[in-house]
Amino acid sequence: MTLSDISLFLQQGVLSGLSTGSVYALLAIAIVSVFKTTDVPNFAQGEIFMAGGYIALVLLAAGVSYAAVIPLTLVAVGAITALFQRVVMERVTSSKGVGVQFVIATLGLAYAIKGLVRQTGLGDTPRSLPALVSSDAVPIGDAVLTRLDIAIFVAAVVVMVLIYLMFTYTRIGKAMRAVGMNPRAAQIVGIRLSRIRMLVWAMSGVISAIAALLITPKVLVTPDIAHIAILAYAAAIVGGFTSLPGAVIGGLVIGVVENLVGLFISTNAIVVAPFLAILVTLIVRPQGLLGGKVQVKKV
Amino acid sequence: MKLSKSFAVALAATVVAFGASAQSDPGLTDKTIKIGMFGPLSGNSMAYGFDVINAAKMYYDKVNKEGGVHGRKIELVVEDDRCNANDLLAAVKKLVEQDQVFMLNGGGCSSAVVGAREYIDRMKVPLVMQAASGDGALYPPSRYIFGALSISQYAVGGSIVEFASQYLKAKKIGYINHDDAYGSWNLEAARFQAKKNGVDLSVESINPTLTDVTAPMLKIRAANPDVLLIATYDRPASLLVKKALELGFNKPIVITVNGTADTKQLAANVGNKDAFKNVYTQGLLADVPGGPKLKWVYDMYKSYYPELAAKPGHPTTYMPEGITPAKVIVEALQKIGPNPTREKLADVLANTNLDTGITAGPIVFTPTDHAGQKSAIYMKFDGESETLLPGVYRSSWTYAPIAK
Amino acid sequence: MKKVTLDHVALLAAFAVLCVLPFVATGYVLYVVNLLMVFVVLALGMHVVIGECGQFALSHTAFYGIGIYTAGLINATWHPPFVVSIIAGGLLSAAIGYLIGFLALRMRDIYLALATFAFGEAMQWVFLNWEGVTGGSNGMRLQPADFFGLKLTNDLQAYPFVIALTALMLWLTVAISRSQFGSALRAVRESDVAATAMGINARAMKQAAFAISGAFAGVAGGMYTLFVSFIHPESLGFQTTILVLTMVVVGGIGSVRGAVAGAIFFGIISELLRQALSLQEIIYGAILMGFMMFKPRGLFADRKRRVARPVPQDGLGGGAMKGSRA
Repeated sequence: MTLSDISLFLQQGVLSGLSTGSVYALLAIAIVSVFKTTDVPNFAQGEIFMAGGYIALVLLAAGVSYAAVIPLTLVAVGAITALFQRVVMERVTSSKGVGVQFVIATLGLAYAIKGLVRQTGLGDTPRSLPALVSSDAVPIGDAVLTRLDIAIFVAAVVVMVLIYLMFTYTRIGKAMRAVGMNPRAAQIVGIRLSRIRMLVWAMSGVISAIAALLITPKVLVTPDIAHIAILAYAAAIVGGFTSLPGAVIGGLVIGVVENLVGLFISTNAIVVAPFLAILVTLIVRPQGLLGGKVQVKKV
Repeated sequence: MKLSKSFAVALAATVVAFGASAQSDPGLTDKTIKIGMFGPLSGNSMAYGFDVINAAKMYYDKVNKEGGVHGRKIELVVEDDRCNANDLLAAVKKLVEQDQVFMLNGGGCSSAVVGAREYIDRMKVPLVMQAASGDGALYPPSRYIFGALSISQYAVGGSIVEFASQYLKAKKIGYINHDDAYGSWNLEAARFQAKKNGVDLSVESINPTLTDVTAPMLKIRAANPDVLLIATYDRPASLLVKKALELGFNKPIVITVNGTADTKQLAANVGNKDAFKNVYTQGLLADVPGGPKLKWVYDMYKSYYPELAAKPGHPTTYMPEGITPAKVIVEALQKIGPNPTREKLADVLANTNLDTGITAGPIVFTPTDHAGQKSAIYMKFDGESETLLPGVYRSSWTYAPIAK
Repeated sequence: MKKVTLDHVALLAAFAVLCVLPFVATGYVLYVVNLLMVFVVLALGMHVVIGECGQFALSHTAFYGIGIYTAGLINATWHPPFVVSIIAGGLLSAAIGYLIGFLALRMRDIYLALATFAFGEAMQWVFLNWEGVTGGSNGMRLQPADFFGLKLTNDLQAYPFVIALTALMLWLTVAISRSQFGSALRAVRESDVAATAMGINARAMKQAAFAISGAFAGVAGGMYTLFVSFIHPESLGFQTTILVLTMVVVGGIGSVRGAVAGAIFFGIISELLRQALSLQEIIYGAILMGFMMFKPRGLFADRKRRVARPVPQDGLGGGAMKGSRA
């Protein structure tokens, strides 16, 4: 490989990696928000993202104009996730379920969504949504990005900033953090746990729906697309499982690493790179890049 | 001693049952012949099973309405194999041992079907596959297994390289496939064809779940081939065509059948007509999509399944592939005559040469080659419609057993 | 006089059914039962590491795969009596399990779960790409197992051995559970600080748990090779681990009865659902959510475990990354 080849590969690899990484980042933000507040790693996040895509497709097939499809999809997905928390997860809590039982409940949601999507008849073929941002090429140095790529990156950063500000400065955000840190104490000071949890689940649903509407033209929606959540998990771990800026940084890192591995090592190795990243992070620096200091659980 | 008496009765009954079945093959009565069907009726790969089996069902029904085969009506038992090896084995075992079918007609997922080979060989039940290429179970050939009635993946790889070098006059070819079983089969034949034609092959094997195709596409572009061949499934194929446009790769692109199930959707997914200035597609059916030669199949589907046909997404693209194996089976059963046995069926099937009118080429089985369909058609796709190109582009790869 | 408990009756009844089955059922039914037994052993293995010791190991299928490929390769190369191949698979899985156990020393709960998950996925990638050893994406043929001259070529022939191995693993699990070792594992599950204070080597316990569960999964893999003739890495991914986890949780986390009941319940449900075609995923999802909503402790909750705790039970995240709790 010549030097100019290497330079080209680096530029393109990094830039495209930042864009794809932003996709992972958006989903990671949804995962981390729910985890920070309810202590539950949502194993249905990929399916929720997929549901957003398919709800939009079904509405479009029914003849609804895209301008209306957008808000309808956001509301629909937010409602589904909020309902899931209110109906299913609350019941698990009141039945004295703990950690792993919540996870299995989210798995149940994942299966149910997958099954429902297949009933739509839109199943097998990969589909796209009308692009919210064009795919015109924008040359940057030797490399090329599309306008959509840049928009996704901007969106991830904007969403992260908004949510971070919400968590830090607004009453609701502080309430969410309180519930995440110590539910008993939060309840004592008058925070309605069920309402806060519902809100954070709804929020994660809306973020996933935004991601679906924005990103589908780039990754295409299929009944398998939920697989992308694994990369979002890798992003959250690398960035620090309780840090929102970490989720974004983690996503970008995973996206770039995937590309650089593919360009300089082998295309075969791309798919195992995120898992190695997870292992390395957890072994070397378990709190991730931006996570807080790991505290020992009190007996 | 009641226990041992009833035990003896049960044992005797089993022995009698075994003895009875040894006289004639199971699944046969004077009026019926039972065929066991299986395929992915649920899950990710539903497209390779659901409507394919529906198509087979309607064809068998048509044959029954016309009097059946030598006075016997075809009776079907259908099982879902969920496209995974364990469930497929359960489905096949249920059909053979519980439902006592005469023969099997099923299999939409190649890697799952390959897993059942030993069992089928041991039980000596003829299997004619459906949409699966199943090459892994066909080389070396098994007496009872017949597959690749859609198209053999080896043929896919060899033929497309032949097309690229003969029609597009390529001397250097970029080849993107998957790192799964399918990918290894089409790549082997592609390499063989490239060597034979004196053509250079640059290969990138990607995982089907890949989100970002920048790395493989960039590497291909850097290798500067004359033509890019894409042997991936639909989603990566759409992403690659899109990425080629983004990266300014304007050489001809040819997409194998693996990725052209729905070319209209492919164009919609890429979203830009400029990407299709130089794109060709490979087909395994006898006509371009929507063409006149296959209209009868879709009309038949509409008349048999009116509610299904009204739903979006039906029939799925692979539907016609359900008819080819059914036609082959019925013709073989007709040939055998009024006293079919499994062994006779295996013999007759191994000498098949039938142009079903569904696939690009005839279904040809010989005693040494049980991969049925090896022809492909090529079309130029401009983003809206496909135009058939003349010529026949045959894959030269043949099976050579590795000397141990 | 030994009390005749419900367990004894259930075991006797099950034994009776299993003995009669080969004479009245087809090979298909025996195949389903054989597969069920493999999952029972997988569930027992997961019970030891998660139920007894409280370590969330989501790498289970990796050891299952190691067991399958090891037994398959040894059988194909040397044709020893199958016990040898199975033991070899179990030992290799135990060794690698022990190494992965090191992860448990550095992290807990969700982090351990994710790290072991990542290892499981990496292992599947290895199965898929190490063509020379595993056959890669073409899968691997498994030769009929050998038992002192008798070749096991079908489900009926493999059946008695599969049942015997399952019984052995079940006996081992119960023995572990009732022993001092088991108590030590459970002490570590409740609190490794307190356990250490009592003189238990928590680190060794955790690694032992990993090694044992690895061994169980490896043996389950070996059992698989007795009646199935083909393996493809597609079946050796996270889906299978999740299925086993579901069995253990729905069965009742922390109880051996629960692991067995969960395995049988889901094994049968899975086969029944195959008839429900496209609705099966929705039904399966509803079953999972339903159980977690109404019977989260599972079918056979661990009665030894105290339900009332002074501190509200944490989620999987535990307190590992949070502030101190009341």
